[in-house]
Amino acid sequence: MTLRVGVVGAGGFGRGIALASARHGHDVVLWSRRQVELPDPIRMSTDMTDMRDCDLVFLAVPARHAVGVAEQLGEAVDGRHSIVHVSRGLIGSELQTITQVIREKTVCRRLGALAGPLVADALAEGRPSGAILGTGFPELTSMVRETLGRGELRIYHTSDVVGVELASATVGFLTVVLAYAQEVGVEPSTLAVLATRGMVEVSRIGQTLGAQESTFMGLAGLGDLIAAVAGDDRPEFRLGRALAQGVKLTSAVGEAGAYVEGIEVARHLMEHARRVGLPTPISSTFVAVTEGSMSSEDAIEALMERRVGQE
Amino acid sequence: MLKRFLSERPLRLPHIRPYVPRPSDPSIFWFNSERDDIVAEVVKRICAAHEPDRGRLEIALNDAAFHEIRRLEKQRDEEARDRLGYWRSMIRRIGKMDDTEQRRVLDTIVTNMTRDVAGNFDPRVYRFARRAIPRLIGGVMEPRRLATAAAEPLERILKVQGDLEHLRALQNEGSLVFVPTHSSNLDSIVLSQALEISGLPPVVYGAGKNLFTNPIISFFMHNLGAYRVDRRIRVGLYKDILKLYSQVMIERGYHSLFFPGGTRSRSGMIERRLKLGLLGSAVEAFTTNQVRRVDRPVWFVPTTINYALVLEAETLIKDWLMEEGQARYIIEDDEFSRIDRWFTFFRKMVGMRSACTIRFGEPIDPFGNRVGTGGQSLTPTGRAIDPGGYVEHRGVPVVDPVRDAAYTRELGEVLGKRYEQDTVLMSTQVVAHVLFRDLVQSSPGMDLFARLRLRGEIGLDLQSLYRELGEARDRLVALEAKGRVRTSEVVKEDSPAELLERALTFWNGYHDSTAATLEGDRVVLGDPALLLYYQNRLVPFAEDIANPEQLRAACEIANLGVHR
Repeated sequence: MTLRVGVVGAGGFGRGIALASARHGHDVVLWSRRQVELPDPIRMSTDMTDMRDCDLVFLAVPARHAVGVAEQLGEAVDGRHSIVHVSRGLIGSELQTITQVIREKTVCRRLGALAGPLVADALAEGRPSGAILGTGFPELTSMVRETLGRGELRIYHTSDVVGVELASATVGFLTVVLAYAQEVGVEPSTLAVLATRGMVEVSRIGQTLGAQESTFMGLAGLGDLIAAVAGDDRPEFRLGRALAQGVKLTSAVGEAGAYVEGIEVARHLMEHARRVGLPTPISSTFVAVTEGSMSSEDAIEALMERRVGQE
Repeated sequence: MLKRFLSERPLRLPHIRPYVPRPSDPSIFWFNSERDDIVAEVVKRICAAHEPDRGRLEIALNDAAFHEIRRLEKQRDEEARDRLGYWRSMIRRIGKMDDTEQRRVLDTIVTNMTRDVAGNFDPRVYRFARRAIPRLIGGVMEPRRLATAAAEPLERILKVQGDLEHLRALQNEGSLVFVPTHSSNLDSIVLSQALEISGLPPVVYGAGKNLFTNPIISFFMHNLGAYRVDRRIRVGLYKDILKLYSQVMIERGYHSLFFPGGTRSRSGMIERRLKLGLLGSAVEAFTTNQVRRVDRPVWFVPTTINYALVLEAETLIKDWLMEEGQARYIIEDDEFSRIDRWFTFFRKMVGMRSACTIRFGEPIDPFGNRVGTGGQSLTPTGRAIDPGGYVEHRGVPVVDPVRDAAYTRELGEVLGKRYEQDTVLMSTQVVAHVLFRDLVQSSPGMDLFARLRLRGEIGLDLQSLYRELGEARDRLVALEAKGRVRTSEVVKEDSPAELLERALTFWNGYHDSTAATLEGDRVVLGDPALLLYYQNRLVPFAEDIANPEQLRAACEIANLGVHR
C-alpha cells in the first residue's frame, strides 16, 4: 500500500529517508526551511501544513532545533498521524528526549525513535544495514518497515523508547571518548575496556530515567558504537581526534564539520548522576579533559587507578 | 457468619413502587433498569472471546478452578465448605468435557462472577445519604448538634477546588471518569461528598469486598452503585470481568471513579506508577464507541485528595517500610476498622480549617489532551481536533488492544504528571518535610532505617526552624506560580510559627506516636517514620525548595522517589 510520507529536515538523514521511501514507491514530501534540490518524485515544501495529509512523518532535524520544529509541526498534525524521529540528542539539563518534546508540542501519540548503526548514505543508496525502532505502537513498526525496510534494511523493534533515545544520545559522547583515546595511542584492549565500561556507566544513568539495560547493550547502544569505531566517519569521531591533537573544544567542534551534541549531553548526564548518587568516572574524566583541566595522561592514569569491581 | 451473609447478600430496601427516572436525573438513576442487560453484555463478550478457541477456553477453566481451589483451601470458612467441592469436581472433569459442556460451564462461572460484581442503585438510599452523611460527620464532631446539624462542619473541613463549571458542562455530553490519588479508605466517601457539594453527578466505582463486611458501609456501598471487587480472587476470568464491567459502564455513559494507584499510597508519596488495567478499560470504552459510531466521548478528571491528617498514616508507612506494601494488598486491621479512631480523627479535623482539599484537575481526553468547555479535544495551542483519529487505522476506526494499551501507558504518564501539578500541599506535609530534611542534614552518611531509629534524639532551634519553614514556603509558592504544584491557603497565609503549631496540633493526640514536640525554644523530633510519611508528598519538589546548604539532604530525599 502506498503511504503518504512526510520528512521534516533536509540534512543527510532527511534526504536518505526521503530517497528510501520514494524508492519503495511511497508518496514523499520533504519539508525544509530553504529550497533544496531533490530528485523526482520527491516533492519539496517550505510549508509545514503539507504534513497534514501524511500518514507517517519523519522528524530529521538536530536536537537543538527539535523544539521549534515540533511546535510548527504541532499546528499541522493530529491524532491520526504517526511521527518517527532520528535525532541523536537530548534537550537541556532535564535530559528531555525528543519524543517527550514531540508529545509536549503536538497532539501526536503514535511516536517512535529510529536509531542504531544506520547511516544516511546507506539509507539513500539502499545498502544493507540495520536499525532499531523504539515505539509502544507495533503498527508503527510495520509502517516504518514498509516505508524504509524492504529487504535491504532490517528494522528491529523495542518498546523501550526512552532507552533507545538515551542510548543513541550517549553513543555520540562515547564515540568522542574512544576517538580521543585511539588518537592518543591507547591500545585496542584498553579501548575495549573503555567502551564496555563507558556503556555500563551510561546505562546505569539511563536506568534511573526509565530505560532498560538491555537496550544499551543492543543496536541502539553497543551496536551503534561498534559502527562508529569501525569508522563510519561520524563527526563525533573527528571531534575526538581533533581534541586529542590539542585543538581547543570550540575549534574542534568546527573541525568536526557538523554539530556535535555529545559533550553537552555528557555534562547533563553527569549532573543528573550526581543528583541520584551514581558514579561517573569515565564521563567526568573526559569532560575534565575537554575543558582542559586534565591532561590525557592524567586521565588514563586516574581511570586505571580506580578500584576494580565486579562486572 | 454475618460478615459472609452481608458480603454475599447485601441488604436492599423493599420496592413498593419502582422509581421511574426523570430526564434530569444523573445516568446512574437508570442503572437498575439496565443492570441485567449490562451483566448479559459482559457475559456475552467474555464468552465470545474464549469460546472459538478450545485451548484458550480450557486454560481459562483450569485457571479458574486452580485459583479458586487454592483460595478456598486457605480460607477454610463457610464459603470453602460450600464451593470447594464444586471446583474440585470441575477440575477433574474439564479435560473430559465436550465443547458444549465446556461452554456451558464457562457461561455459568462468568454469569455468577459478573452478578457478584454488579452493584445496585437505590435512589432512596442516595437521597438519604446526601442528607445523612454530612450530618453524621457533623454529629461525630459535635454530638450535641446531631439532631439539627447541617453540613456546616463538613464544609469547614472539606474544600473543593477546580473548574467545576467546566465539569458540570461536560457531565451531560459524555462519560466522566474521575481518577483520584489514593491515601485513605475514606477517599471514596470524601470524594462522593465533594461531588455532591460541587453539583457533579454521582459515580460508579469498584469497592473492595472487605468494605462490605461492615454492615452500615455495606448497605450504602451496595445501594449507591458501587460494584464489588474481591481482591482475594486471582482468577484470570474474574479480572477480565472487572475490566469489562467497568468498560461497559463507561461505554453506556455512566460516570465512573477508580483509583489508578490501585491501593492506598503506602509511602505517602504522590503516585507515579499507576495500575493501568481499569484505566485501559476506559480507553477501550472510547474505542468501542468510536467503532460503533456512538458519539459518546470519554473524559478523565485527574483528581487529588489532600489530607492534612491521614487516618491510616501510621499503618501505611509501617507497611511501606516493611517492604510489604505490594504483598499485603488488603490491610484489614488498620485505623479504618476502628471506630474510636474515626471519632478522634474527625474531632481533630473539625478544629482545623480546610483539613482536606479535593482538587478536580482540568479534564483530559483518553490521549492526554486538554478538553474545551464544549467537550472538544484541544492541541497545546488551542486548535480543536477529532479524538476519533487516534483509533483510526488508515482512515477507519478499529479496535486494537495493543495500540490501546500503548495509549493507556501514555495516559498513565500524563496522569502521574498531573497529580504532581494538582497536589495541594498541606501544612503538616510542609512542616514534616522541613523537619525531616533537618534530620537528614544532621545525620550524614546514615541510611534511611538508621535515621528512623533517631527517636527523640534530634532537637532543632526554633528560630532557625521558623526561618527554614518560611523559606521553604516561599519557594513552594514560587513553584506554584510556575504551575508545578499547589499549596493550601493555610500554607500560604499562616506565619511559620502558626504552621508549626498547626501541624503539631494535628499530629499529637491523634497518632499513637509523637511526630515532634515543642520543648522550650527547641523542637524535638519524635517518630521519624511519621514525619517521613507526611514529608513524602514533597519528594518531587525537595531539590527545588532547598537552599545550597540544604541541597545534599534534599537530593537524598529526592532519591527516595527515583524508583517510585
